[in-house]
Amino acid sequence: MEVKVLFFGVLAEVSGTQLKHYHDVKSISDLKLRIYDDFPEIVHYNFRISLNSEITDNDLLLKSGDEIALMPPFAGG
Amino acid sequence: METNYLTAGPVSQKLISQLVEKMSHNTDSGGHSIFLGQVRADEIDGKSVKAIEYSAYVEMVNIEAENIKKKILSEFPDVKSVDIIHSTGIVSAGEISLLVFISAGHRHQAIQACSKTVELIKDNLPVWKKEIFEDDSHKWK
Repeated sequence: MEVKVLFFGVLAEVSGTQLKHYHDVKSISDLKLRIYDDFPEIVHYNFRISLNSEITDNDLLLKSGDEIALMPPFAGG
Repeated sequence: METNYLTAGPVSQKLISQLVEKMSHNTDSGGHSIFLGQVRADEIDGKSVKAIEYSAYVEMVNIEAENIKKKILSEFPDVKSVDIIHSTGIVSAGEISLLVFISAGHRHQAIQACSKTVELIKDNLPVWKKEIFEDDSHKWK
């Protein structure tokens, strides 16, 4: 299985990418560990996670094709 | 992805006047309240902001902007229409980065709904900004 991870705002700069695909990740917590492994700096930033454009604080299970976004605090306007 | 809520670069005067012109057909509206957000040339650590670069999660902006519209229309029954346009990309100091345009039967709900819409945008729209200084250094907000 493959999921798509989007990095926004300062997190795109810190990770050096706006998009990365991950394979065989079971859950959001599993994915976060993989992301922290790849981009250790991210652990220092405050962000929320959305699954398929819906913000969640839960450790949901992931399925192939899911889109996960890492979103720093919003700053529109 | 298509969006009615984002525009590349500053919100232009043309876009603003087109909306005003469109409203002339809404003859059941007695008042429009417009909020224009402008990029401020803040001074931070002795450096002046020359522009802001906005980025957005387009799919989620569409969903959240629709939610904001629904919320405003249900909370303010006198409101006839809600238009929201936010910039993406570079907007220079002095240029407009956000337009909120509310039409209502009467002024009170137009003004209240406009204020509430701006607050909901600040809290819920997935948009990020990078302040760019005169020396081309930058800072995320």
